[in-house]
Amino acid sequence: MVEAARPRWNGRLLAGGLVVLLVVSTLTVRLVQLQVGQHQQLAAAGVETRVHRVVLEADRGVVYDRHGVQLAGNAPAWALSMLPAALPANAVARQSELAQVARLAGVAEPSLGQLLLKAPDLYLPVTVKSGLSAEQSQAIAERLPQLPGFQLDQTPLRTYADWQDFGHVLGYTNRLDSDEYARLKNLGYLPDDTAGKAGVEAGLEVLLRGRNGWADVETNAAGLPMRTLAQDPPVAGDSVYLSIDAGLQQAVGQYLREGIQSAGVRAGAAIVVDPRDGELLALVSAPSYDPNQFAAGISAAAYQRLLQDPAKPLYDRALAGLYPPGSTFKMITAAAGLQDGKIGADSVLPCPAGITYGGWTYRNWAGYDMGQMNVEKAIAVSCDTFFYRVADSVGDMSLAAYARDFGYGSAPIFEIPGAQAGLVPDEAWQAAQCQATEAPGCRWNPGETLTMGIGQSALLTSPLIQAMYVSAIANGGTLLQPTVVSQVRTPGGRVAATAQAKPVSTVPVSPANLEVVREGMRQCLQAPYGTGFLFRNDRFKYDGGCKTGSAQYGGSGTDLPLHAWFTFFSPYDHPEIAIVVLVEGGGEGHDTAEPVAVKIADYYYSHRAQILGTQS
Amino acid sequence: MVRRADLTQALTLAALVVLGLMTLFSTSRADFASQVGGVAAGLLLYVAAAAFDYRRLQPAAPYLYGLALLLLITVEVAGHTAYGAQRWMRVAGLQVEPSEIAKLLVLVALAAFLARRETAGRREVLMLGVLGLPPTLLVLYQPDLGTAIVFASLLLGLLFLAGAPRLVLASILAGVAVAVPLLPHLLRGYQRQRLQIFLDPSQDPLGAGYNLIQARIAVGSGGIFGQGWLHGLQGQLGYIPERTSDFVFAVYAEEFGLLGSLLLLGLFTILLYRVARAAAVAPDRFGFLLCAGAAVILFTQVVQNIGMNVGLTPIAGIPLPFISHGRSALLTYLVMLGLVQSVVLRRPLVSSGPAGRVPLTESGTIRLPV
Repeated sequence: MVEAARPRWNGRLLAGGLVVLLVVSTLTVRLVQLQVGQHQQLAAAGVETRVHRVVLEADRGVVYDRHGVQLAGNAPAWALSMLPAALPANAVARQSELAQVARLAGVAEPSLGQLLLKAPDLYLPVTVKSGLSAEQSQAIAERLPQLPGFQLDQTPLRTYADWQDFGHVLGYTNRLDSDEYARLKNLGYLPDDTAGKAGVEAGLEVLLRGRNGWADVETNAAGLPMRTLAQDPPVAGDSVYLSIDAGLQQAVGQYLREGIQSAGVRAGAAIVVDPRDGELLALVSAPSYDPNQFAAGISAAAYQRLLQDPAKPLYDRALAGLYPPGSTFKMITAAAGLQDGKIGADSVLPCPAGITYGGWTYRNWAGYDMGQMNVEKAIAVSCDTFFYRVADSVGDMSLAAYARDFGYGSAPIFEIPGAQAGLVPDEAWQAAQCQATEAPGCRWNPGETLTMGIGQSALLTSPLIQAMYVSAIANGGTLLQPTVVSQVRTPGGRVAATAQAKPVSTVPVSPANLEVVREGMRQCLQAPYGTGFLFRNDRFKYDGGCKTGSAQYGGSGTDLPLHAWFTFFSPYDHPEIAIVVLVEGGGEGHDTAEPVAVKIADYYYSHRAQILGTQS
Repeated sequence: MVRRADLTQALTLAALVVLGLMTLFSTSRADFASQVGGVAAGLLLYVAAAAFDYRRLQPAAPYLYGLALLLLITVEVAGHTAYGAQRWMRVAGLQVEPSEIAKLLVLVALAAFLARRETAGRREVLMLGVLGLPPTLLVLYQPDLGTAIVFASLLLGLLFLAGAPRLVLASILAGVAVAVPLLPHLLRGYQRQRLQIFLDPSQDPLGAGYNLIQARIAVGSGGIFGQGWLHGLQGQLGYIPERTSDFVFAVYAEEFGLLGSLLLLGLFTILLYRVARAAAVAPDRFGFLLCAGAAVILFTQVVQNIGMNVGLTPIAGIPLPFISHGRSALLTYLVMLGLVQSVVLRRPLVSSGPAGRVPLTESGTIRLPV
């Protein structure tokens, strides 16, 4: 019988077998460790790797004018984002890819590297640049297959209409900086989130923002979403209908810029308000800036240019610009004198070229004696010396109190952030100042009371405060809260809120006395001697009241030009508009501010039906 | 039917090939398709190698050794670079990885050299070192650390199994022990980086450490029973890098779990046992060394590959035999195991008469299994 030989196991083979068994046992132990011991932990790590909670951004609410003309909306646009985990593992390849992308997207290469370093999760896409131009997104789209780790997402881009006229009203949204994020993260904001930074965008952020949703998305290693595991859909922001009339706003913007240009200066502001309810129909500060620049992610250089522009385009003069009111203040001095009983409606006082007080001479704007006059005419011709006397007899404390009653010295509560309070000086204020500075011989100079009577001294007001002050005179003594919002609607179209007139207070001036002041303003507009003579033309067929102002600033005796003011309301019996125009450094009010107001009033009355028409 | 081929080896092999194809099917249909072609060609070569009398290779050994060196030099000059190493070349439209083929050629050459004498004295040790060094250095220069490790293991393993003196082996081991701490300084940039990342994967989670972390997550996600064939998410969604080659085990372990992993490990252990057994029945010293060396190569590859998948050994690009995609490697291992069958088929016969088992002096005619 022949058969195959049995195996001959030598010692070395057996020793080798032992090594194999040892190593296989080690691998077995390790496999048990990973697949049983650490299974839960590693499976969870796998889920964390594959599944990402992505934010479903809520559409920001649209901003319309009072008739439904869209002013701020969301246009489809492309954003470039980066998934760090999908970038090339090779450092050299990664670097050259980042350099290429930086060039294509128009961002600085180091900032791309920074984004990568700061990425909290390698599997979470980071926005590199939103609001890519059409050329940029096309150029990137063509090369995308060669750019692993980058993707183009369609994200809404905030777009604003007619920036020159609406810039300051609408404001802009911008990416949060780290401080802002730290403040807002508890409200659900994300690290590279945007928020309103100025204008209505900032003031109505809570309404416009909506509520972001989320989705747990399983992605493959290249970052492509494969399926959605769970989600909470976003809720769009509310739509806001402003009280602004787009056509009027544009007209006001144009007239104001023309006025500023012909005065040879840089800046100004104009407001049109309905004195019945405090709704602003136009609100313009010039020069303006383009909010679209911010929405697309403004470059550091462009931002620096805006900051360093001597005309300060980012500065909203209508709310935050503070100027002495000059002669536009005289209605308050008149009301104070009448209400305190220092003068009567028929008291007649002289209007000399100057008066002497405490060793100083206080001059009238006219270098000649204008004769005897009552308070109505004194307002109409803007007699300084008349009001020096009235102010002196009323006294600084009482005059200051009346000024505050008309809204001076406190910032109006307003939807757009940034409204300033201005300043009302008096002895008490002076004492506080003196205590703070400890300057020797510091005290209230009684002569200051006189100059305060014509809107000088340390008085400061803003165009918005002026608008509400004129409205209070026009509407018979109710100081209203200004508003720029007429209606808020939910994404479903339901009206969530409608503006209501919000009285702040009633001015403590009797209707009879206020009527005297109003009559003075009417004579200013309509009497042959009134300073508002430009309104006495063929085209303007409506009545009303006005007051010019030419405010000195930078201290008396300086050569700085005057700030030109013009305040106006119309019609006389049931006023429906009040206008305030300021031309910064524009000289005499009737020279530079009044022509702007005339054009605005003309526009208003020729488009009145449209402007006041029912809202869509 | 006296001389039977090793059916157990063939079945184990078949099981491994099927598991490999299943895993490739799950991750890449393209790689699966090309691997199917490789399997078909490989089975033919396997049978041919078994039929071929391995002893006829012994005189050809010097030429085979020269061919191995020629292949390694050619790839260095004309090859393609992949993952920082020059290891591929294109022959007649097919991608060929010469270092895989070189493994078999060097094995045959070294076994043939050692088989010239019955013992392995100092002279043999020295000569083996001289023969083994050029191919090792050539692959290290590519740089292909994995294949270099295989060559080094083959040298050591052959010396051990060929019966080299203990003192010599001990001093070689001592030398290795001294060299290992120096290794980071001798390695090339990306190899050194890989070693450092093995020690601390979180160092570079985007780059090379990524592979390790993702492989470990995939293996661990498998659990005891696995996520199921075609349902391993880490593998399916592409998180595992090199998922059809170096890290195919991670894909397999995620889908088939601990049970699958142990099945695979068990199949490899059985295969190693059958190859070792072939060495134990070999009719001559060349056959013994050929089989012993084949076992060393298989063992090294399996341990290094699975080891790096579970984070026990540094990342060095070594495919998992029969599982990883790669036709050069598949064909090489199938031919290698075919030669092992050739040894089994030519084992000596004994007569088992009343006097017990007596070796026959004449080996008789060889018959192939039907």
